[in-house]
Amino acid sequence: MVVAAEASHEDEAPEYYEHSIWPVLVAVATGIGLTGLFFLTRGLSFLPNGLLLGFYAGLLMVVAAVAILIGFLYSDTKNWSSALSKLGRLPKDMIGSFPVDINMTIQIIIFTELLLFGGAFGMYFAIRERFAFWPPPGTPILDDSIARVQTLVLISSSVLIEWAIWQLKRGKMNAFKVGLLGTTILGALFPVLQLGFEWPHLILDKILTPTTNLFGATFFLLTGIHGAHVLVGVIAYCYTAVRAFMGQYSPENHGFVEASSTYWHFVHIIWLFLFALMFQGSFR
Amino acid sequence: MKLEDFGTFVIFTAVYAAGTLGLPHFSLLAYQVKIGEIPTAFVAVFGMPAVFGLTLGQFIADIGFESSPLVMISPAVSFLGLLVVYYARKTSTLAGCIVYIAITSIWLSFMLPAVNGTPVVVAAYSALAGQFAAVIIGYLAYQIVVKKMLPQKTEPSTQH
Repeated sequence: MVVAAEASHEDEAPEYYEHSIWPVLVAVATGIGLTGLFFLTRGLSFLPNGLLLGFYAGLLMVVAAVAILIGFLYSDTKNWSSALSKLGRLPKDMIGSFPVDINMTIQIIIFTELLLFGGAFGMYFAIRERFAFWPPPGTPILDDSIARVQTLVLISSSVLIEWAIWQLKRGKMNAFKVGLLGTTILGALFPVLQLGFEWPHLILDKILTPTTNLFGATFFLLTGIHGAHVLVGVIAYCYTAVRAFMGQYSPENHGFVEASSTYWHFVHIIWLFLFALMFQGSFR
Repeated sequence: MKLEDFGTFVIFTAVYAAGTLGLPHFSLLAYQVKIGEIPTAFVAVFGMPAVFGLTLGQFIADIGFESSPLVMISPAVSFLGLLVVYYARKTSTLAGCIVYIAITSIWLSFMLPAVNGTPVVVAAYSALAGQFAAVIIGYLAYQIVVKKMLPQKTEPSTQH
């Protein structure tokens, strides 16, 4: 899919174009997938036997969306291999800016995330200011032992990915792969702890749900948004790991690894604020 | 600070914030030692990302404690102290650490009585002892890392 136009002069850098249907398909898949999820959870009450039909329609949509996304990942991964082999024949100064400036991309992503979490924390403080006592009376005192383990998991994963990148820059690919795999596993542990232990413990034992009071609502909203971002980070690391084991990174070409780690560190820092505000600050 | 230093920045932030909030202070004789202060000397190795990281870490930890608005000035005071450690790194990291201990202890001696009502002498004594213990433990660890792990620069021979 990457087409190199012939340069008219030998000393001029050739131009590169990328023609791809995948951005459109991924956008459509996202729309279909979200609609499918809506149908799965709500059903289609306006059809005969609506609930059942809605469920199957929703399921079909989600499956179609997942299939498109898998197709994209497969195609993209395959293309990167050929793109990198082409890169091997390019002058060195072309590598940093090809195919896009990944540093600029990740900076834009981080900026938009800052706006999102800034708004979410702003909402939290605005609600909190309306109460003389926070958390409101009747809120169960949170047990932060699982949150401490989650913090430890994130610190370990951040240190491990930095170590992995350091090894990659030194050309020690096996150590890099071990570090990347370890980071992915530690990253995956975070949502497991959150969805498997922490939230069930809060909901079932402490009887803290999003409908308990405004503290419960903001707690689950903020930790939920953060948890979704952690999941995205884990998916990015899985993808990075697959490409690493396909031999698609080198000391000169590892922009996606750096970008994934920057995103991960950002998610980590947001967790520190959540840990301080939700688990510590609210109950002192 | 470059984007590739972001990881170092976040790790130092996490070590301070989680070390202060997540781990209990440990006692050395009668004094409380803040685990978050231990990495101070490592500013000499990791540079400005560590300075900013430790400062943000302290800010997050102070949000967690949220005892008084006065406490929120502490990160700015620590930032000044950390800058001293950073700029003194080529001359003497130990001297930088001692200045850091002095700056933060003086601030704590003023802040703790205002926030908690602790007698000034007690606050000054415990702040100085606690800061000294934490930073010197970190300095010893820094010495081990520098001597054993980091590649040493070969000094040009002075013999003729």
